[in-house]
Amino acid sequence: MATKVMQGVRVLEVAQFTFTPAAGAILADWGADVIKVEHPVRGDTQRGFLNLGGFQVDPMRHTLIEHPNRGKRSVGIDLSTPEGQEVLYELAKTSDVFLTNYLPHHRQKNKFDVEHIKAVKPDIIYARGSAFGAKGPDYARGGFDGTVFWSGSGIAYAHSPEELGGPLSQAIPAFGDSIGGMFIAGGISAALFHREKTGEGAVMDVSLQSTAWWAAGASLSQQMEHGVSQRAQMPTSGGMQVNPFLGNFWTSDGRTINLCILSPTGLIEDTFEHMNRPEAAKDPRFADPLSLFQNAQAASEILVEAFAEHDFAYWRERLKTLKGQWAAVINFEEMSQDEQALANDMVIEVEAPDGGPPIKLVRGPVQWNGEPLETTRAPQASEHTEIVLMESGIEWDRIEEWKAKGAIA
Amino acid sequence: MKPGTRLKSAACDTEVMVIRTAGGTIECGGAAMAEEKPADAAALSPDHSNGSLMGKRYVDADNAYELLCVKPGKGSLSVDGVALVTKDAKPLPASD
Repeated sequence: MATKVMQGVRVLEVAQFTFTPAAGAILADWGADVIKVEHPVRGDTQRGFLNLGGFQVDPMRHTLIEHPNRGKRSVGIDLSTPEGQEVLYELAKTSDVFLTNYLPHHRQKNKFDVEHIKAVKPDIIYARGSAFGAKGPDYARGGFDGTVFWSGSGIAYAHSPEELGGPLSQAIPAFGDSIGGMFIAGGISAALFHREKTGEGAVMDVSLQSTAWWAAGASLSQQMEHGVSQRAQMPTSGGMQVNPFLGNFWTSDGRTINLCILSPTGLIEDTFEHMNRPEAAKDPRFADPLSLFQNAQAASEILVEAFAEHDFAYWRERLKTLKGQWAAVINFEEMSQDEQALANDMVIEVEAPDGGPPIKLVRGPVQWNGEPLETTRAPQASEHTEIVLMESGIEWDRIEEWKAKGAIA
Repeated sequence: MKPGTRLKSAACDTEVMVIRTAGGTIECGGAAMAEEKPADAAALSPDHSNGSLMGKRYVDADNAYELLCVKPGKGSLSVDGVALVTKDAKPLPASD
């Protein structure tokens, strides 16, 4: 039996896209009963994606629906109707967490803001994912990770060398969303513990902006304290100005090895030997870390020349015994086959809605008791409407009445 | 038949939950569905073998019938011989 730390917790999610639904997916992975409320006709807007990262989407094998929605059940409710709101309140009464990323005026208009949900379930944890947080001039403004997390945070700027003439785009769909979703799930976990101890359900906020601030915290803190922070430089083969064992080095076939030997003490000889330059290890210019730093340029040139003598495959094999830290710069195709990642159960499989081969997804970053994750596919829009309502003790006559009015799917 | 009833295909693995019915014969793979599977499987009619999809809702033109597929199979769903169609979400066009 797999460890399910959120077993017995019910999460009522009224959210779209990836950032906030991803938190629901993490909690579902951990065993929570997550009920995703979707519009009965349109469903989560993300279902309508025609393209993802420039590639066409197959709606029956929709990885951007699966990634942030696996393990959930979907209930179709039109929250603009009084009957729909009644259904939502019925579900809220039996829920521990209310999770939403709808904008403040929507929550007010459709009556599922903090006061409405707390009125039916006073100790519920009300978790909000937003673009900019709950306060300040932009609290009611929407945003995506491409705008708030990447472009509007300093992150795009810092990753883009000045010589490029413009900032790089966020090349990974839902990059900031997926990071931030985990932050929300972590906050909810702590809020559940707090409620267990005090009986109180907190109102919590995680924004895409706060996600960016935390992820870029080392640079932002340095900026605020010292008035400076790092910006990426144009790619080149060679070590850094001070530490030659720090940097990217190009192989004979145009690939890249990254060295990151921050503290070279005791590693100088081993590094030069792996580079097939044992004579450099005995060179007095590189005898100790401070000498190495003083002669960084000369050491870097030796490494650049050495790396260019062999191809990527050679270096990946050769460096396996290197004592210092290094990485082969790989792409997602290589990552998806990475032996180490697979050994740690990073890939999960869910049933495909089209009946084809299972869809491969990524497990969350937390592993429990060393066990692989077991979960189920994302729901079809409104798939579990009647089942969830009947489970909640609602009689069929009422379900039919709501259906007739279009309040539920 | 009560809404909420689960029906099984006599011809394939399909199982559905009845959401709405008007008294006609609910079929899968060309054979009537029932709460229990028959001892001998019915033959899958080639005219009703487009398959059923997990989690999809199936409706008729008049919206008198609605079935929710809870287990997919090779047979397709019909009522009195008339094929049902999927009731799909109509998401707004968007693109990443």
